[in-house]
Amino acid sequence: MSIKKSKFFFEEELIETIGEVSEEIYKTLPKNKKLKIIGKKIPRYDGYPKVSGKAKYTFDIKLPNMAYAKTLRSPFPNAIIKSIDTSKAKKMKGVIEILSHENSNDIKWYRDSSFLFDKHVRHEGDEVACVVAESENIAEEAIRKIYVQYEELDFEVDANDSMKNNKLKIHESGNIRKGKPDEYSRGDIEKGFQQSDIVIEDEFSTEIEIHNPTEVHCSVVNWENEKLKVWDSTQGIFSVRGSVAKALDMEEENVQVVKEYMGGGFGSKLEAGKYTVMAALLSKKIKRPVRIALDRKEMNLAVGNRPDSTQRLKVGVKKDGTLMALSHYSTASIGAYPTGGGCSWPLKTIYKCDNVKTEDYSVFTNTGKARPFRAPGHVQGIFALDSIIDDAAEKIGMDPLKFRLKNYVEKDQVWGAEYTSKLLREAYQQGAEKIGWKNRNKTPGSQSGYIKTGIGMASQIWWGGGGPPAHANIKITKDGIIHVYSGTQDLGTGTYTIISQIVAEILEVPIDKIKVIIGDTDITPYGPSSGGSTTAPSISPAVRDAAEKMKKKLLSAGAAIFKTEEQNVSYNEGIISNKQNNKIGFKEIVINVSGDMIVKGSREENLKGFVTQSFGAQFAKVEVDTLLGTVKIKNIVAAHDIGRTLNRQTLENQFHGGIMQGLGFALMEERIMDKDYGKMLNPNMHDYKIPTMLETPEIDVIIVSECDEKANNMGVKGIGEPAMIPTAAAIANAVYNAIGVRIKSLPITPDKILMALNPKN
Amino acid sequence: MQKFEYIQPSSIKSASKYLRKKNGAAMPFAGGTDLLGLMKDNIFSPKQLVNLKKVDDLNYIKYDETEGLRIGALTKLSDITNSEVIKNKYTALHQAASEVATLQLRNIATIGGNICQRPRCFYFRGEFDCIRKGGDTCFAVTGNNKYHCIVGGGPCYIVHPSDTAVALLAMDAKFKISSGNVEKVVTAKDFFVLPDTDDMKENILEDGDILTEIILPNLSSSSISSYIKVKERETWDFALVSIAGVFNRNGNIIKDGKISFGGVAPAPWVEEEVNKQLENFKVTEESISKLSGIAFKNHDALEMNEYKVILARNLIKKLLLNLV
Amino acid sequence: MKKSNQPSNPNRRKFLKGVGTGIAGAYLASPALETKAKNISNEILDSYEGKIDFSLTVNGQKYSRKIDPSKTLAEFIRDDLNLTGTKIVCNQGECGSCTVLLNGDAVYSCHMLALDADGGEVITVEGLESNDQLHPIQESFIEEDGLQCGFCTPGQIMSAYALLNKNSNPTDDEIKQGMAGNLCRCGAYPKIFDSVKAAIKK
Repeated sequence: MSIKKSKFFFEEELIETIGEVSEEIYKTLPKNKKLKIIGKKIPRYDGYPKVSGKAKYTFDIKLPNMAYAKTLRSPFPNAIIKSIDTSKAKKMKGVIEILSHENSNDIKWYRDSSFLFDKHVRHEGDEVACVVAESENIAEEAIRKIYVQYEELDFEVDANDSMKNNKLKIHESGNIRKGKPDEYSRGDIEKGFQQSDIVIEDEFSTEIEIHNPTEVHCSVVNWENEKLKVWDSTQGIFSVRGSVAKALDMEEENVQVVKEYMGGGFGSKLEAGKYTVMAALLSKKIKRPVRIALDRKEMNLAVGNRPDSTQRLKVGVKKDGTLMALSHYSTASIGAYPTGGGCSWPLKTIYKCDNVKTEDYSVFTNTGKARPFRAPGHVQGIFALDSIIDDAAEKIGMDPLKFRLKNYVEKDQVWGAEYTSKLLREAYQQGAEKIGWKNRNKTPGSQSGYIKTGIGMASQIWWGGGGPPAHANIKITKDGIIHVYSGTQDLGTGTYTIISQIVAEILEVPIDKIKVIIGDTDITPYGPSSGGSTTAPSISPAVRDAAEKMKKKLLSAGAAIFKTEEQNVSYNEGIISNKQNNKIGFKEIVINVSGDMIVKGSREENLKGFVTQSFGAQFAKVEVDTLLGTVKIKNIVAAHDIGRTLNRQTLENQFHGGIMQGLGFALMEERIMDKDYGKMLNPNMHDYKIPTMLETPEIDVIIVSECDEKANNMGVKGIGEPAMIPTAAAIANAVYNAIGVRIKSLPITPDKILMALNPKN
Repeated sequence: MQKFEYIQPSSIKSASKYLRKKNGAAMPFAGGTDLLGLMKDNIFSPKQLVNLKKVDDLNYIKYDETEGLRIGALTKLSDITNSEVIKNKYTALHQAASEVATLQLRNIATIGGNICQRPRCFYFRGEFDCIRKGGDTCFAVTGNNKYHCIVGGGPCYIVHPSDTAVALLAMDAKFKISSGNVEKVVTAKDFFVLPDTDDMKENILEDGDILTEIILPNLSSSSISSYIKVKERETWDFALVSIAGVFNRNGNIIKDGKISFGGVAPAPWVEEEVNKQLENFKVTEESISKLSGIAFKNHDALEMNEYKVILARNLIKKLLLNLV
Repeated sequence: MKKSNQPSNPNRRKFLKGVGTGIAGAYLASPALETKAKNISNEILDSYEGKIDFSLTVNGQKYSRKIDPSKTLAEFIRDDLNLTGTKIVCNQGECGSCTVLLNGDAVYSCHMLALDADGGEVITVEGLESNDQLHPIQESFIEEDGLQCGFCTPGQIMSAYALLNKNSNPTDDEIKQGMAGNLCRCGAYPKIFDSVKAAIKK
């Protein structure tokens, strides 16, 4: 164990952290078919509490004497608060306290660009005041009795308009974040286009997508003297602890953040919420626990979204299919506060091209701030890239799959690093075989009849490697239960389950002897936030490290108990035996050892000079009704290289989930904004449409990889995001293959198909 | 939701009287699936809700070969979808009712409520002081009008959201309205109003009027009917455009028939020119194309909804193609 | 193509009349009804605590209370009876997570008044387990992994329960139609389907 400065590439950046890493080098585990528990169809660890209704999510937590808080939010896209009159609200029976900028400290928020309560509200839904009352209904009614005078200001809700508006400054620095685009180039782009036989250019667009996890953002807070306990529906307990402590000017040690179960996140729950801090302030004032939960409208306005995109791509190819030049220009609405919106990363990395130029503008708009949403940038970027790649292939008369294989690259093109493993070729081949790529329409739109089918494909690349620091502790108690503690999160992703499997496998014990405790900053050791598909590749190796260390410890204890040297004892299935074949089980060992049997496990450093990425391809078969404009997805084949499969069932489920979200992005999800009033028109789960059971296609999940030895001691890459990246692009390409007309803006709704097929009308 | 009093009368007469007395402050409450949504969004805040579910007996499906079909307005949509006689003899109504929302909502929602539901327009259901709510602007006209009407609009451009209403119009349904002591029966066509008649109501009901019964004539044994609803997702969605057709047919010859549309106008809609052609109409690829071409010739599509003209015409094709 | 009868506003930025300046913070009540209604003071309704007699059998146990009319069935189940298995996700009857059985029918408990269930029988997810033994449907959801985050799961299970009670051998299509009123944002639909199908055999 030592503290090291560790580097790893993640989300376009080289991240350096100083943290404790394990220096143990473990033999790569055998292939899954030789393992007992890993890779197998093990039922979800937290299945019982969830199906029985016993699982208590943050939303369900009820403390004695608890009060309820609700937030007043700006109805305007851009305004200055002139005055707030809370007198009528305060008089209401059951209203306890009201907070606003008038009676609270200026707590910095949004990377110091704003405050917890800012007099300047910059989007519909921006926080104005917070009421705590005896019940949620009373708090809601009290909100309606707060009289606010606003001075309404001009606003912009569209990125392209915002960029051009010289009179309106959403922030002092102007409307383009950082004042300039994120730029990248390699090679010589002009030369690349000159050397091309064919150059094509096109524009694509995608809309704002909103996470809408089922469990709303919510916290329950309670003070005990100077210590604050926060139950939060969060993907990052340590991140929340840090932010809340900072906001309240407290030591982190005095803030405890707890999350046992959560109802989804998809990236929206990666940062501390203003609502948590507001609840903490109110709770301190009224000396009672406070619960604050957003309603569905607030969920759609104020807790994040995937930025939209307008992308202009230019591709230069040679007749033999060689990609000579790729240029990319994009704008994205990032909302009213600083965050990122670029989407050019896949274009820089996935297909071989020596001449690349990208320009990503992240533009402020008077709308809710964006937050990472399942593969930020990549879902939008791959849609545009893989659409125009298909077009380029068609222009030179080449099969799109062959085109992608022709431009296959073995190394990372941005940093020049080696990949720890890359099996994209295998993914292409196996996926193509399964979908019946050979039987695809050679001429798009050529089928007779009103119902036309098509097949399309797209590729995927994503950071799957994770990195240190990440820890897991194992403690065996005298009742023979193996407790595993890790400060990580399970969003439904299966973290509980894979942790229990790894320990069961390494310690060779029945899985029901293992108890997994995650999500408590007081008792679980540090783990990174669960985002970016980093959990499995960061936590699994730490858990293995802990389990291997516990095994060694048990051997050592066994040797002591048998009064012999360690080389004279052996370990098998949780039992230590000596040369005389005396045996002692791990429970008995623990009983016989005075003191605790605890080990701490850590993630090791990433291999220098390498970068770990996941790869994959998805193939979609669609059916378009050209009379009605409706698109039905019949099949999705998802072939991915994600290292070792830890649990086949939960992995499949994750892929299904990512694909369903990709399907939603492709066919129906969009925030509808009224440009004249700057208000969202569909902040609910009916007009913001997400896929249902009836949209669900046949889905085949093919994992082409066995294990990525170089990635980490478990050979695991993250899977949450790879699952979603290529789906919409594959669907768009399939629709083109079916009807012979390309829809270049998502979502592909019936009106777009009808207008595309009936241009003269 | 703001608080309200829950009034539970046991007769139509007292319900009607109470509603009239309260002058709009009280609202009738059937399944509540629409009204509760409007109340939760604070579009309406009635001081009293008048529960119609315990009133007399408005929950029935009665079929008689001479009288036809009589459905109590408080009949649940799930009872309508489960009714064999409606499925077999009034198929368009069965299909329309089956297309409404989801099973769980159909287990609560009533056909009367479905017919009287308020529009789905974003602006009507949002914080906009629009014409239908007594203001003087239609925000959809210059704003987002993708889902709005292509005919019959002005000064308000909503579409009527009900599926059952479209089928009922095609089947020449009549509605019985009770107003305490007085009862009257109107045709489905006369029940609905267009904005140029009244831009704040979708139907002729006044305070105190209660829709009590839907009456459908007996259809001949050679009659078939169907309903097609085009949506952006496969369930739980209002129609982009929908179509109902009732035909008396002999093989591929339509002796007479009636087609009605949903999703195109502030009321369930018929294209008279199209229906006129349905007398001794032989269904062929060519005749269908020709027929769909004459529909919606004088449309008033808005900036974002021209696709509805295409879709409505194509639905005529689809409906008739399905016949043969 | 008709655009509008109204003169186009040269100033593209428009402001909502009546929202904001001097008026209650968040929402507009319908001005039409405000003018039509008699002037009933809000104060009276604020203190109207609404005590209406109400009784409901939930998971076999009868409860009698006095409740406010505006209480939804989901609120009664969760807040008054502390049965938090039933979740509130959209509170508008738009997602299905609050699905319970009422007199044998699957309904969205968040989108109906508790009073409308008066005298009826409700089954929630907590009512399926008996004597520490999970219901076969619940077992199937574990075996087939018909869940991820689990928040929509009680609603899914109740819809499956309602479906199989009415139709013990549904076709694939009938399963999908029966489950169509339950959203799952995690996208676990294929395995939810498998879970319901597996439960048929039990």
